[in-house]
Amino acid sequence: MKLLEYEAKKIFGSYGIPVPRGVLIHSPEDLESGVAESLGDGVVLKAQVDVGGRGKAGGILMADQGSLAGTARDLFGREIKGIPVREVLVEERISIEHEYYVSIAIDRSSRKALILFADSGGVEIESVARENPDALRKASVPVILHDVPAFMLRELRGDAPKEVEKVINRLYRAFCEKDALLAEINPLVSTPSGIVAADAKLIVDDNALKRQGIEQNRDLSERERVAEEHGFSYVELDGEIGVIGNGAGLTMATLDLIEFYHGKAANFLDVGGGADQERVRHAVSLVAGVSSVRVIIVNLLGGITRCDDVARGIVEAGVHQQIIVRLAGTNEDLGKEILAGKGYRMMDSMEDAVRAAVEESR
Amino acid sequence: MIYADKKTGVIVTGATGKQGAFHISLMNEYARTVGGRGVVAGVSPGRAGQEVDGVPVYNTVRDALREHDAACSVIFVPAFAAADSIMESANAGITLAVAITEHIPVHDTMKAISFAGMNGCSVIGPNCPGLISPGEIKLGIMPAHLATRGNIGVISRSGTLTYEIVDELTKAGLGQSTVVGIGGDPVIGQTFADVLARFEDDPQTKAVAIIGEVGGSLEEEGAKSTDLPIVAYIAGVSAPPEKRMGHAGAIIEGGEGDARSKIERLRENGVPVASRPSEIPALIKKLI
Repeated sequence: MKLLEYEAKKIFGSYGIPVPRGVLIHSPEDLESGVAESLGDGVVLKAQVDVGGRGKAGGILMADQGSLAGTARDLFGREIKGIPVREVLVEERISIEHEYYVSIAIDRSSRKALILFADSGGVEIESVARENPDALRKASVPVILHDVPAFMLRELRGDAPKEVEKVINRLYRAFCEKDALLAEINPLVSTPSGIVAADAKLIVDDNALKRQGIEQNRDLSERERVAEEHGFSYVELDGEIGVIGNGAGLTMATLDLIEFYHGKAANFLDVGGGADQERVRHAVSLVAGVSSVRVIIVNLLGGITRCDDVARGIVEAGVHQQIIVRLAGTNEDLGKEILAGKGYRMMDSMEDAVRAAVEESR
Repeated sequence: MIYADKKTGVIVTGATGKQGAFHISLMNEYARTVGGRGVVAGVSPGRAGQEVDGVPVYNTVRDALREHDAACSVIFVPAFAAADSIMESANAGITLAVAITEHIPVHDTMKAISFAGMNGCSVIGPNCPGLISPGEIKLGIMPAHLATRGNIGVISRSGTLTYEIVDELTKAGLGQSTVVGIGGDPVIGQTFADVLARFEDDPQTKAVAIIGEVGGSLEEEGAKSTDLPIVAYIAGVSAPPEKRMGHAGAIIEGGEGDARSKIERLRENGVPVASRPSEIPALIKKLI
């Protein structure tokens, strides 16, 4: 889960990484008590929304103490790429001498923490890698190490201020201790009074949220919330064919086949292992509840999952859309018997099922 | 076959849990049909003295190995303790740990795989269905009835999609040497390249099907690393970026790991890529 900027800054700050002084407000009225007065005359207002390109989309505004209240009202009235502004971080304005980039991510190939440091920050790191590869330095650290080795810190820093080494090592510790998939400071800036993390990004492993004491995703749609409650992996798409499968790979392959036959899937829904009658009923109802869905394909390979349970779940859901069913594996015949003569279309192969679903969706 | 054969002794950790107990009986059923040793011991802390499907249970891996000869552990322990179980296995002398468990925090996985490596233990998974060498051994949860013995190796990041493809291969008369599910997590132990290296030393294996998906670049790295004839299929051509498609590892990040560019790079390396699972058998037949 991606944390918001102010949450990430709070964590980075607790590791001793210098961050700008700031206050979080939930409405323009929060300023009336004078909480932002100590930040100095020049301030920056930053909408706390999880969107890329926030600055360009109008989510970051400059103000001074005189114009602060008006600017805050303006920002709280905005939507940034469709997301309403509910929280604003008001920060002291810092005078930037130079911008750097630092990030730590998981390198799947080496199974290590991959640290990137660039002499130019504030821009997308992909463009630095393309246009100025010499400005970008990398180091891989096995996460069984408590600290980044000193020689790596020296290599990463290059000609940047010595203080950068401390920041990188502290970021590495935060990365490890907070179960991060990504920890990024872009830009990391040098100011007359030292190095400061002007922005902060932290993505925490969903499988570690509980032990990190972090609440699950706040920005789920109603259907996504229901899906999560039942333990489904669910992604909304914008087509007409509802898709239910068991196993991520099989469900993805079903979506790909739909595209191959020029249909459009309405969703990705993996019911997971050992799906029983209840779960299947909930899955079918969930997918059928999307108004654009004209036809539903259920593609399940039985193993621990029993096809007769699946069939009962489908019948119980009792939805109005046509359902195309492909069941194979444990108790396949029983499952087919339950569905027979009730208007469901049964297919023996995944390809036949997908072809039928695409035809129905037209 | 690779990694293990019918003579391999197997222990199961998390043996008294629902999944562990269920799959001990299925693994042993398979062992009986092929004349293998199967699961010789189970491990569940605090459950020493119990039995699961006739298999004695011990408190620790070390205790189990004191009484039984085993080289392999299959891990069904819940996510919060599974990485520890991998390390316990490695520390006690297990040389292959197959981690079925899903939802292990990725930092735990990285540490456990490092630790296992330092103790001479290879890890398959986590978040994987395990492996099957038809006629020899089944380690994990793959349904045995779909697989038949033959010369095709299969390596996959998926579970049910693997079963689908094994079924296609079997129906096309292409039996399998070993089918390995390497897992759907972003960080896994044995990669495509690692398994391909094993297949290179296996006289039974004539060609390999690799079943990949969006996220990372392990498929391309594997393809580059081997001289074996390989065929690939990549799931997730229609996957939108930044959305996790079920598997923790199946996510296109920062424009990296999307299916089309993966397929392109595989083809650049001379690897035939099936656009549908059903095309895989025909592509393999062209190679052998």
